[in-house]
Amino acid sequence: MPAERPVFFPFLFRMHKALMWAALLLLFAYLLVFLTYAANLIQFPFDYDQGEGFELVDTLLFSQGRWPWQDVETYPFYSSNYPPLFHLLAVPFAWLYGPSYAYGRLLGTLATLVAAGAIVFAVRRDGGPGLLAPLSGLAFIASNTIYHIGPLNRQHMSMVMFETLAIVVLANMESVRYSRQRRRIFWAGLALILAAGYTKQLALATALAAMAFLFIRRPLRGLQFSAGLALIGGGIFLLLTFATEGQWWLQTISANVNRYDPQQALGLLQQWFGLHGFLVVPAFLYLLYELYVDRLSIYSVWLVAALVFGLLSGKWGAGDSYFSTAIAATCILAGVGCSRFLARLPEGQILRAAPGFLLIPLLFLGYGRAVLHLPTNTAPFDSLAALMEIKPNAPNGLYDSARSPAGDFPPGYADIGHLTSSEDLRAGEELVAIVRAVEGPVLSEDASFALLAGKDVVTNPTQLLNLANNGLYRGDVLLEMLREQAFGLIILRAGFFPGTVLQAIDENYGPAQVITMNGFDYRLYRPRPAKAK
Amino acid sequence: MAVGENTRPILFQGHGLLRAILPTMWERPLSKRQLGLLLALAGCAGSVAVLAIDILDAGREGGLGPAQSLALGGTLLILLVGLSLLPLGDRPA
Repeated sequence: MPAERPVFFPFLFRMHKALMWAALLLLFAYLLVFLTYAANLIQFPFDYDQGEGFELVDTLLFSQGRWPWQDVETYPFYSSNYPPLFHLLAVPFAWLYGPSYAYGRLLGTLATLVAAGAIVFAVRRDGGPGLLAPLSGLAFIASNTIYHIGPLNRQHMSMVMFETLAIVVLANMESVRYSRQRRRIFWAGLALILAAGYTKQLALATALAAMAFLFIRRPLRGLQFSAGLALIGGGIFLLLTFATEGQWWLQTISANVNRYDPQQALGLLQQWFGLHGFLVVPAFLYLLYELYVDRLSIYSVWLVAALVFGLLSGKWGAGDSYFSTAIAATCILAGVGCSRFLARLPEGQILRAAPGFLLIPLLFLGYGRAVLHLPTNTAPFDSLAALMEIKPNAPNGLYDSARSPAGDFPPGYADIGHLTSSEDLRAGEELVAIVRAVEGPVLSEDASFALLAGKDVVTNPTQLLNLANNGLYRGDVLLEMLREQAFGLIILRAGFFPGTVLQAIDENYGPAQVITMNGFDYRLYRPRPAKAK
Repeated sequence: MAVGENTRPILFQGHGLLRAILPTMWERPLSKRQLGLLLALAGCAGSVAVLAIDILDAGREGGLGPAQSLALGGTLLILLVGLSLLPLGDRPA
């Protein structure tokens, strides 16, 4: 309709732009929420997420030149179940600042931002100019899952960062004209995938995606890449196994074979789709377009592999974080797909193009609404929450759309994301003071209290449970110590010890006090009077 | 003329062809049909493997469990995607 064009097209274009900017503004607000949460956690000196303390212990052991994969049958019954890279990256900080969660949480925050930056770069390079690149990067940070695990002293986001960088580096290798440059890309991609794998085992999904993509594009290169990964990765693996007298194999591989609950995996898959569906649908439509019409990109192969591995979230000890690689892949693929879709809209046929012009920003706006999360009791978000009449449904005044209005969430979803308060700080200080006052060692389910009180960190409970579940743990010495009431105090949070240990605690120690920190109850047990020395 | 004298040049010619074809095959991108074939084979093998768990592990009871059903669904989906790619011919995958 040529007569309509002068009037209608500028209006449509302005509308599209306005909606795109509105979506950008909305998703940018989530970056502010993320940074507020990160700043809050970096300043908090105690455990927040279960397991953070033991990642710090790994860093401290490396900083002393010791392996964290140890025999759990002898005192202090400690072993890590993770690969080393994240902890090694934090070692210089440990030398400078000693035991502190601040630098690990800072590294996690930076890794999240770098991964988001890589997504922006990929969408800009492979999709084209415009606001879709920053929108895709911000969409990654806006995800409820990425938000709550990003700023933790955990290795997961560093793995996602290395994975994303590897995929972005390898994406266009075949279009590079000069062989020397191609070789450089090949080795850089391979090194980044190895880095991801030696940060966390779950990066296997990305390694398989890269191998499959390179095989599809050029089988010989795919085989070369696979051989390189197997030789170098396998070489490091063997070296670590021999250097730790088999503990590396036992603690990181054998102990990680856990019970699988398909209902938990399906619940988390459903939640992932419910939260990210506005981007998952365009990402999968673009994947189908590439599969049947165009050529498969590495992003499509990556999304499929990451989603399959996301289903491992049904394992005991796994959770929604297992979908974070799939979230990164979704953001890139949705961004690239939407960019190419916009570029192909028929400019001459305004009415045909109109739905597309409006649909894309509406998808990102819908996504922004679906992942809604913010602290409702912290400025400046409190006034926004009041304006939108948002009621908190998580601890410490957090609203998280991943939960029901009553605060329920599927099994495996991490019960975190809320800010810590001055009461939490006081509770942590009280716990450290109690631990410091106790004579002898303390058995604590979180490590920070013992670390800050200058005591030994005894055991990594979840690792004992992993090993026990696989029939690889006896625990004679620890059980004997419990029977002799060798520990002056026991602190439990979730009770993630093997059944035999919990039974020995119950028989020899009695509940003394409960201290609540970060919305979690820390139950303190002291030797039962009848047996107390 | 001995048989060997006739066949040798043909064999050498064949060897040369093989040398010419093989690297080219490995250097070429997979076609949609080839990818479809690989996926169909993988899906088929995966489905058989999932079902074989019941046959090999005689101590199991109760037929297909939820995790097995999930895996079987996945492998059948791979098989279907593979089959759907077969008619797309030699276009690069």
